[in-house]
Amino acid sequence: MKRFLFAFLAAFVFIFFWGWLYNGVLLKDIYAQTSSLWRPQSEMMSLFHWIILGQAILVFAFVMIYASGFAGGGVGAGIRLGIMLEILAIGARMMMYAVQPLPGKLVLYWSVGGLIEMIVTGAIVGAIYKPSANINA
Amino acid sequence: MNPKKLFLAFLAAFVFIFVFGFLWYGNLMHGIHNEVPALWRTEADFGSHFPWLILGHVVMAFFLTLLYARFVPGGGAGAGARLGIMVAFLYIGNNLVTFAVQPLTTKILGGWIVGNLLEFAIAGAIVGAIYKPSTTATV
Repeated sequence: MKRFLFAFLAAFVFIFFWGWLYNGVLLKDIYAQTSSLWRPQSEMMSLFHWIILGQAILVFAFVMIYASGFAGGGVGAGIRLGIMLEILAIGARMMMYAVQPLPGKLVLYWSVGGLIEMIVTGAIVGAIYKPSANINA
Repeated sequence: MNPKKLFLAFLAAFVFIFVFGFLWYGNLMHGIHNEVPALWRTEADFGSHFPWLILGHVVMAFFLTLLYARFVPGGGAGAGARLGIMVAFLYIGNNLVTFAVQPLTTKILGGWIVGNLLEFAIAGAIVGAIYKPSTTATV
């Protein structure tokens, strides 16, 4: 339980800062080119708690999946899980691209950023979380 | 890994999530989505991007099946549904972030959350019911 909490916290801190750096700084100009698809900055800030909650749920689900079926495999197993989950997310992004007028390069950048995010998250979780007794993965 | 069962499970999951997506997001939520028309492609534009929708479903169904085969092979429908629910929560987390940055209504957010839970729980159960490891479980 203690390891679970540490893994969750470390992964959450990483995802929060990565999300801010990648989406808030690096992709800022692309978002500005498609402003009709996004809330105004002030409105976004008033809904910021949804971002925190969403990232917390995402990280919690990641650690739960790792702890339930991949635990004991260490950093390598965490990275493999991260890659698989990101490819699932890329599938969802393709669907999003089909229905929303998103520029293709934004979807591509999201996928590259998402892959980096999930690989590092997997490595963090795999390095920290260890099953308490037997490895029954 | 049992390639034949993996393929069958993938196929069944793909058909289910495609039909579910059409009914839930395309039909039941059609009016709700149209409350914010600026967020969606026009019918003609959507038609020309339809292959991306198919490919997205294929990728999603395949990797859900692969995840199950690596995660709880032989666990059955219950284990598949549990995995599906955990995967759904990854999407729900992402839905909440999307709600904060895109002008979605709370009805759209609610519909997506319920849709994700149903879609992945059932798809996971389908995969779990069909996929069986060929010999012993090797995770």
